[in-house]
Amino acid sequence: MRWALRIAAVLAGGALGALAGGRAAPGRAAAAPAPSLPTPPPTNPVAAIPLRRRFGWGFTLALGTAGLGVALLGYAVAALLLIGTGLWGTNIPFVWGFDLINYVWWIGIANAASLFAAILVLRRHGLRTAVNRFAEAAALAAVAAAALYPILHLGRPWLFYWVLPYPATYQVWPQFRSTLVWDLWGIMSHVIVTSLFWYTGLIPDLATMRDRAAARGRMLAARLYGLGALGWRGSVIHWARHQAAYRLVAALVLPMLVSAQTIVALEFATTLVPDWHQGRVPLHVVVTGIPSGLGVVLALAVVLRHAFDLRDVIDDVDMSLLARLTAAAGAACLWLYADELLAAWLEEEATRQATAARVFGAYAPLWWGGLLLTALLPQALWLAWVRRSAPAALAIGLGAAGGVWLDRFALVAGGLLHDHLPRTGPPYAPSVPEWTLLLGTVGLFAAALLLFARLLPVVSMYETRHEEDEAEVP
Amino acid sequence: MTPPDLPRFEDLDTDPGRRGVLRAAGASLALAAAAGCDVKPEEWGDPLHMRPRGVAAEDATYATVLELDGIGRGVLVRTRAGHPVKVEGNPDHPGSLGATDVFLEAAPLSLHDPARSRQVRLAGRVPRGAAATAPDAAIAALRGEGLRILTGPVTSPTIARLIAAVLARQPDARWHQWSPVAGDGALGGAMLAFGEAVQPLHDLSRAGFVLALGTGPLDHGPAQIMQARGWARARDAGRAAGRLPVLVAAESTPGLTGTRADRRLALPPAGIEALARALARELGIPATGEPHPDAAPLAAALRRAGPKALVTAGREQPASVHALAAAINAALGSEAVSWIPHPMARPEDCGASLRALAAEMAAGAVGRLLMLDVNPVYDAPADIAFAALMERVPVSVHAGLYPDETALASTWHLPLRHPFESWGDSRAPDGTLAIRQPACTPRVEAARSAEEILAALADLPGEGEAPVRATWPALDGAAWPAVLEAGVLAGSAPPPRPVRLRDGFEVGPAAMTSGLVALFAPDPHLWDGRFAPDAWLQELPRPLTKQAWGNAVLVSPADAARLGLRDGQEAVLTLRGRSVRAAVIALPGQAEGVVTLPLGGGRRAAGAVEGGIGFDAYRLRPADAPWTAAGLEVAPLGGNGMAPVRAGWRHPIEARDPPPARTVAPGEAIPPLPPQPSLYPEWSYPGHAWGMAVDLDACIGCNACSIACQAENNTPVVGAEEVARGREMHWLRVDLHAEPDGRGAFQPVPCMHCEKAPCEVVCPVNATVHDNEGLNLMVYARCIGTRTCSNNCPYKVRRFNWHGYAREPGAVPVRNPEVPLRPRGVIEKCTYCQHRVAAARTRADLEDRAIRDGEVETACQRACPTQAITFGDVNDPDSAVSRAKREGRNYALLGELGTRPRTTYLARVRGADEA
Repeated sequence: MRWALRIAAVLAGGALGALAGGRAAPGRAAAAPAPSLPTPPPTNPVAAIPLRRRFGWGFTLALGTAGLGVALLGYAVAALLLIGTGLWGTNIPFVWGFDLINYVWWIGIANAASLFAAILVLRRHGLRTAVNRFAEAAALAAVAAAALYPILHLGRPWLFYWVLPYPATYQVWPQFRSTLVWDLWGIMSHVIVTSLFWYTGLIPDLATMRDRAAARGRMLAARLYGLGALGWRGSVIHWARHQAAYRLVAALVLPMLVSAQTIVALEFATTLVPDWHQGRVPLHVVVTGIPSGLGVVLALAVVLRHAFDLRDVIDDVDMSLLARLTAAAGAACLWLYADELLAAWLEEEATRQATAARVFGAYAPLWWGGLLLTALLPQALWLAWVRRSAPAALAIGLGAAGGVWLDRFALVAGGLLHDHLPRTGPPYAPSVPEWTLLLGTVGLFAAALLLFARLLPVVSMYETRHEEDEAEVP
Repeated sequence: MTPPDLPRFEDLDTDPGRRGVLRAAGASLALAAAAGCDVKPEEWGDPLHMRPRGVAAEDATYATVLELDGIGRGVLVRTRAGHPVKVEGNPDHPGSLGATDVFLEAAPLSLHDPARSRQVRLAGRVPRGAAATAPDAAIAALRGEGLRILTGPVTSPTIARLIAAVLARQPDARWHQWSPVAGDGALGGAMLAFGEAVQPLHDLSRAGFVLALGTGPLDHGPAQIMQARGWARARDAGRAAGRLPVLVAAESTPGLTGTRADRRLALPPAGIEALARALARELGIPATGEPHPDAAPLAAALRRAGPKALVTAGREQPASVHALAAAINAALGSEAVSWIPHPMARPEDCGASLRALAAEMAAGAVGRLLMLDVNPVYDAPADIAFAALMERVPVSVHAGLYPDETALASTWHLPLRHPFESWGDSRAPDGTLAIRQPACTPRVEAARSAEEILAALADLPGEGEAPVRATWPALDGAAWPAVLEAGVLAGSAPPPRPVRLRDGFEVGPAAMTSGLVALFAPDPHLWDGRFAPDAWLQELPRPLTKQAWGNAVLVSPADAARLGLRDGQEAVLTLRGRSVRAAVIALPGQAEGVVTLPLGGGRRAAGAVEGGIGFDAYRLRPADAPWTAAGLEVAPLGGNGMAPVRAGWRHPIEARDPPPARTVAPGEAIPPLPPQPSLYPEWSYPGHAWGMAVDLDACIGCNACSIACQAENNTPVVGAEEVARGREMHWLRVDLHAEPDGRGAFQPVPCMHCEKAPCEVVCPVNATVHDNEGLNLMVYARCIGTRTCSNNCPYKVRRFNWHGYAREPGAVPVRNPEVPLRPRGVIEKCTYCQHRVAAARTRADLEDRAIRDGEVETACQRACPTQAITFGDVNDPDSAVSRAKREGRNYALLGELGTRPRTTYLARVRGADEA
């Protein structure tokens, strides 16, 4: 009960602070009694951000660029539907190209970001206040970008629902042994759980926003935030249920994320293609996905800190922790890359040659680039001066995401270089429409995140307040 | 409908960088043709006379004959609603023996080609009005002084009779024959050796040791089917007896014969001649020349084989080599060769005939020129400027299937009837006569047949069958329908002529050559260029280079390195002051110092196929040295605009255990695979269980199966750009596992119809399923196009419709109504000709009996000249396919993966001389 009362007090304090004009209550930071804990920052700037009338030309420019990306996506999708997958660089045997590469990549980002957020929630880690919210948002945006691909990659996308088990007139059912059917459930669960996770965490803050918007007389905004807040009144019962639900969803995220990544990997591992047909592929895909998600979260943290002046909320200790996590994930990848070579060496001849073709063949730069960007470069984050440098952290974070993209490319295309029979077609190279589609999904991702930053609190306010509270009463 | 106004010859786009496909204009015309299915205009009569024996009534199949270089090969044309949709070999005809080659299979496409000539043209343009009388006006213009008739090599007795009638009516008229790939060397050789116009007839089934000098008996040509069948029979017998026949090929450029040879010598043309001379000397035949290191052992082998020895000489070989081959065969008393009267109605040196005509044209002695189904403006040697010479002829009339280069340069152009639309006759490679009856109503109203044009010129009745019947007055009453029914006049082959080597036989000295030698050769699919408008043949990867669409210069890898040429690079070739630009393919097995220039590319007016595909080797071809010419210069160019489009079906041999195309020693058995566990229950097949066996020992890689499959199954043509992207659609690919010495193993790869099909379990929507007879079938309507099945197919036999190739404008206008057209976004693949299985099942059910063994023949099986493909019920232990699969050399491709394929292979048997 004690913590609930404290929360109520903090909420009241927050509301008062909002009424006081959105300025941070002075002296609170100075009063922090425990020097070992990060200084609890004021929450008012976070709430104030979405309620600002003007966001500045920088934001407009960014949103405009992202909007252009979304328009590009619309164009690419329309062209794809009208003309067909012939626009792509795919052929026999490279039947999959950017469609699967980008799908696996986006899913990896989403998974890693969600996984990261869920672990923070479950472990009640101090870092969660700072990065949880935008990690979840990034996961959701990445899932949205990823979910486009399994549908768009079909030869006849308008028939995607045939994968669903519904009572069709001819009583034709999906082939339940197909990994693609498993993947449908995987991605659907992913979308549902990720959005639930994100939304559940958002409810108390939506209520805060509602109240602050109302306090500022922004009645339409208050009404909209109120709709999302589902009538949250901050009662102790609400808090109790919310905490239970939030932790429950977070717990759901964990196994589901591992399974979703695994299912995607099984699409490769269950085929007869020598390089793909290995038990280690799911582990490889799950683990190499983590630095990409962490890298994106790290890069986003850097951007948010600077763009919205949130250095106090996402402080140096948070950044350091996040950077070291990325480095650790990179180290895990390093081990997996070594395992890949070791496994190939121990495997039978066909697999060995196939892996050799992937590592040293036509797509070799992709594999080595993946190794460098995902596993090797993040190791620099162990050095304090590197991770404290915003440009370096940004570059390494985005680089990790790019490296995993290269790794996925090496898997999807490079894995087919050496098959059981000699190859019967030219190598795969992405075409302009494929790049357009990728740019479009990046635009979608960016636009979703920008709108999120514009409309919703980027840092979990109630969690921050909770921390403040704990800081006050140790 | 207003006819498409084709551009003038000189306006045609010759930019070699553009690799267009089929123009969209095709579709509307094709639709118009399809709409007119059952229309039989009264004035056209009903030419559908007789069905061949043993063909069910509803199939509407007609026996007729198609010519290549004047030589007839009998075919059965299957029609639906009056449309010929598929060609199959006529088993009774010695030229086809029930099989086909790539050219025969392509005939229905040329019949339905929307780009066929449909209008009479005057000075290259369609005259306004009076369309009905235009053909007669053109023929009337030919009456008068100085008439010259130019035809291809004529074997047809009717054409010969009509030409004789024209010549009798107009005493100053002359007849010339021209074909750019005519066997002038063979005729010259026969004259040298025997002093009379005879032609060797090779029966490879009786040969124990074959030495092929130059282009061999298995290479494409009018006698390919016959010779390949004989070779396969000889190997059958050899395998059974434990003594395989030996095939040794001396080739300048890799061909099918050399690829399948037990021993292959890559020699320049001069080297082949030197070998022939040295061999002859070893065997006691007088011939001058240098000694040759291979001559003594080869001569010993030939002597050992005695009457079972056979030496053949290729089309491109000079008369001396043909004469020496004939002399060697005569000296050894070879039983594998017999001599028949030359099948040409008037045997002559076509090159000399054209040169004589050109000289007369230059002198202004030609007043009227009738060109029947020839295209000299395109294919005359470069030093005969035929287009310029035609300007000196007051009236020139060209009759052809397409508005081609010659048509556009002539005063008049008459559309010619397709062989499927007209009456005629021809002689098989062995001289057997066959009547050509129409298989459909004429598609082009203005078109005339060559027989009709000549009959009109001679004032003889030319309507319908009249000219042919007039040639064969003995075939009256019941004999006439019987001949039409059989498609061949049985026993009409001339008896072999006893020949004796001329006294004082002497071939004279060999010509000296130096520097790079240009070797001109017919393209395996475009032939002399006449098949360039055919999209099926263009797209079918050539047997050895696997090039699709166009042609490219072939050089040896060593020469390429010496000349600074990359594979696929563009180069300028200069011969005697004339130059062309062409793409270069560095082909292992090519003799060093020899550059092969395949004919048939670079057409400027080739139907709907856009101009400038490939390069025009005729622009370098000298009249006095039409096959080999020394002094070629090759200079690399920077550009990549002509980079040859090649399907990835050629694989340099690499160490794989086991290799995909296996070889066994004679009598060796491949151990069966151990029982393979599976998580899934076994299927049960209470009825039939279809299976296939492909005999790699018989396969010569001729591609007939691949194009037959395309014709049967409406497999779309995708165009050069799509082939370059790796999206060719052939359901049956012919892999070539090529050794660096120019030999190799061909392996046709259709769908394996696996018992434990990896594709079936990965399709999320159950679009590829197992049927109750073991066929692995695609349900096109259910497919959503995930392409996962292709990923999981270790054989990579599945094809995907990246675009709506079959249904979009410009698609190929021939459609087999038994097989659905696949829409965009679905996977397709070999069905084991499931519609043929269904038809046989229906027939058997109606007659209340079981399906007989051999009743279902797949299209590929039917087409195969060597009968390498066997298909049938594997549940029946006595079926041909079960017997084949019981052979020791039967193995499953990638069987170790546990897919349990229904298609299995019979391994090649290593010959004695093979390393």
